[in-house]
Amino acid sequence: MKINYQDLLSFLSEKPSKEDLSQKLFQLGHEHEISGNIFDMELTPNRGDCLSLIGLARDLAVFFGKSNSIDLFNDDIEPLEINFENLSPKDCPKISFLEIEIEDSKVEYKPYLKNYFNNIGGNKANLFTDISNYISYELGQPTHCFDKETIKNKLIFENRECNTIFKTLLGSKVSLKDRNCVFSSNNEIISLAGVMGGASTACSLNTKKVLVECAYFNPESIIGKSIKYNLVSDAAHKFERGVDIASQEMVLRRFAKVVQDHAKIKSIRFKSFGEDHNEDLNIPIDVNKINKILGTSLKNDEYLRHLKGLGFHISDKIKVPSYRHDIETNNDLAEEIARVIGYNNIKSTPINLQKIAKNFDAKVAKLESLLVDNGFSEVINFPFTLNKEKESINIDNPLDSNRNNLRISLKDSLIENLLYNERRQKDSIKIFEISDIYTKDKLIKQQKKLGLIISGRQGHNYNHFSKKLDQKYLNKLLNENHAEDIFEINEISRNNLNTKKKDKIFYVETPLEDIPMSFFSKLCTQQKVVNFINYKPISEYPASSRDFSFVIEDLQVVHEVIDMLNNISDEIIKDSFLFDYYKDDKRKIIKLGYRFIFQSHLKTLSDSETNKKVNEILSPILEIEGVSIPGM
Amino acid sequence: MSDLDSINPPSILEEPGRLHPINQTKDYLLNLLSSLGFKEVHGPEIETEEFNFDMLNIKKSHPARQMHDTFYVEGKKNVLRTHTSPVQIRSMLESKPPIAFTSAGKVYRKDDDATHLPMFHQVEGIYVDENVTFANLKYLIHQILHELFGDNVEIRFRPSYFPFTEPSAEVDILSDSGKWLEILGCGVVNPIVLENCNIDSNHYSGLAFGLGVERIAMLKYGVNDIREFYKSNLDFLAQFK
Repeated sequence: MKINYQDLLSFLSEKPSKEDLSQKLFQLGHEHEISGNIFDMELTPNRGDCLSLIGLARDLAVFFGKSNSIDLFNDDIEPLEINFENLSPKDCPKISFLEIEIEDSKVEYKPYLKNYFNNIGGNKANLFTDISNYISYELGQPTHCFDKETIKNKLIFENRECNTIFKTLLGSKVSLKDRNCVFSSNNEIISLAGVMGGASTACSLNTKKVLVECAYFNPESIIGKSIKYNLVSDAAHKFERGVDIASQEMVLRRFAKVVQDHAKIKSIRFKSFGEDHNEDLNIPIDVNKINKILGTSLKNDEYLRHLKGLGFHISDKIKVPSYRHDIETNNDLAEEIARVIGYNNIKSTPINLQKIAKNFDAKVAKLESLLVDNGFSEVINFPFTLNKEKESINIDNPLDSNRNNLRISLKDSLIENLLYNERRQKDSIKIFEISDIYTKDKLIKQQKKLGLIISGRQGHNYNHFSKKLDQKYLNKLLNENHAEDIFEINEISRNNLNTKKKDKIFYVETPLEDIPMSFFSKLCTQQKVVNFINYKPISEYPASSRDFSFVIEDLQVVHEVIDMLNNISDEIIKDSFLFDYYKDDKRKIIKLGYRFIFQSHLKTLSDSETNKKVNEILSPILEIEGVSIPGM
Repeated sequence: MSDLDSINPPSILEEPGRLHPINQTKDYLLNLLSSLGFKEVHGPEIETEEFNFDMLNIKKSHPARQMHDTFYVEGKKNVLRTHTSPVQIRSMLESKPPIAFTSAGKVYRKDDDATHLPMFHQVEGIYVDENVTFANLKYLIHQILHELFGDNVEIRFRPSYFPFTEPSAEVDILSDSGKWLEILGCGVVNPIVLENCNIDSNHYSGLAFGLGVERIAMLKYGVNDIREFYKSNLDFLAQFK
């Protein structure tokens, strides 16, 4: 909600600077951003009463005092004879109507109305609708303007089954479904109550006789409608959060005053339906309770002064204003007091809880240690899938139709992770996931599962580089030293996968409860130490690798060469490793295979850029006597 | 020239895998809260509306209960929990104060854009005893944030709104760049919630707080895009030693 700083000042007796105002708004819990004179407010959903100039001013008055600058139409108003019936007072306990006829609708806007449209930025429509929008900004109460000449029959408010197309005053067509609160006349829906009026009864530039409807709708009756019908509605936003049931006559008198500021009024009539405001909510005065909640030592007079400043009426009890739907208990009042004192000004008080040891899941911790030590990386996947099985749990309102079930297995997610990394030139992939999986039989069943998938090289060091990850590898890791095979290892065919890779894929999935204790008893856990490393963003540009075959004739320098190679680091070297180590007994030489993987964060590297870097990093090594790269 | 056999083969560099940074961060937070006296409790990710909403004083009209915010499953019978708070409700029903529980895990919201994910992780804590106050809450939150971000971190409390706490606060820390960053939500447990859990709110009061694990991980590691955590990119994951 946007608020003009200057407009807000006119409701306050002191005139704080923008900075002071901003600071106090934060203290009160009203987040905002400032651009020029415009405060863009982001209010919590319990503070619907602050969605207006007067609303924010009521809260700020505790610091800056309030000024009574609202001009009302104070003349007597004739009673309105209107053929109206409220068929659902539960949804709309109170509603008022103001009928005004003016002589000429073509008028010049006064500066305050002009400024509102210039600064807050709504589109102008016609005099009455524009005033309605302005009143909502000023007082927080939405009103709706019907062109009186378009309503010839009885006006009805009802909550009814709808199955019809409704054309809004903004011209969009909405297909109404199920039950909705509506205004109807002659069995035609003319307004989607609390959300948006219809085109057929909307005011135009020529409207001279208006019927202004001003209602309190129950938030429950309005909530969800604007989203359901995809209508952006400031009115719905306010009604959903609750407006002031006791302010309708004041609002309509303000409406009349703004009309009067702009046009000559020929006739004006008013009528209200429904119960007057219900019993006020009263809370006994008990400052000790407040101190017990906050841990403060506030004096009673201070307490009451703060509440008065916020608009509470104090007699022998605390009377909650009709617009404060959020205040019911002493805890609510404690928050009011804390806001006025400032959360940051409340001193903290120590608590003394006994330190306890983290009760970690030993099975999970042992599996994690085993896998991480053996080069597996952990992934976390979303559980949503298109695949539906008999035991799948179905999502009623999925993000989209491809994600309308919960996965019953980790397999598809892990295959997807594998293919994703293969496409990113990963040639040695070992990943795992441990996650709760939910299925249904008669009841919902929860099972913690381990899934792991492997493909490609066993590793990048010279012992593992030419070996493939296979069934034997997994057997050795998981099933060796156990009387029976504990884990079932399955090969996943690439036939139906979108990939040209040939490496075999092996997969294991098992519920943790199916793994025997004997397996875990042979594993140990390590104390996990979390280092919050400084993350470096990964490059989106392609990587390219270069292999170099070194011939070392002077065996003395082998380790020196390897150390030099291992210590090379450069902005564009993503990875490097010794993938081959070969002793040639005949020739009494050692051959080294070393791979560099180049990747830039800034661009795709050209061959010549890579070559230049290669020369730079290799030349000190090739200067060593007895070291060469054949062909280079 | 020395003999080939006298040359030791170079050491074999094994590349260890990594635990996922979100799980590392979650474990870190759980360890921290254990050290402050909070006992870890667990609960299901598929919850009833009663435990996910009603018991927490989230009324039927609250926006969070709408179909566009919460995933409903199996013909609206249940929900994917939208926070870890129902775990605390379940645990409170099974015990008597004084209690200090923490719960951590996956939670779900019907959101999917550049800064929101349909699944993320929370760590929450609740402490209920005689005479627990907002001033105690401030003390505890300071302890947690000093542990996480150092003793010199600047901390700011702002009034906020959660149906299950009253007063409620959001807490910001001042970043190196001079911007306030929202870190966690907390408050004095709403007495209605205590009563819902058969705890006499005239005798006991409580404090509660919740942290987004992704948020903490992003700040601590310097990851700017929350989506990176869920791409399962090995180049990304390999960094979290």
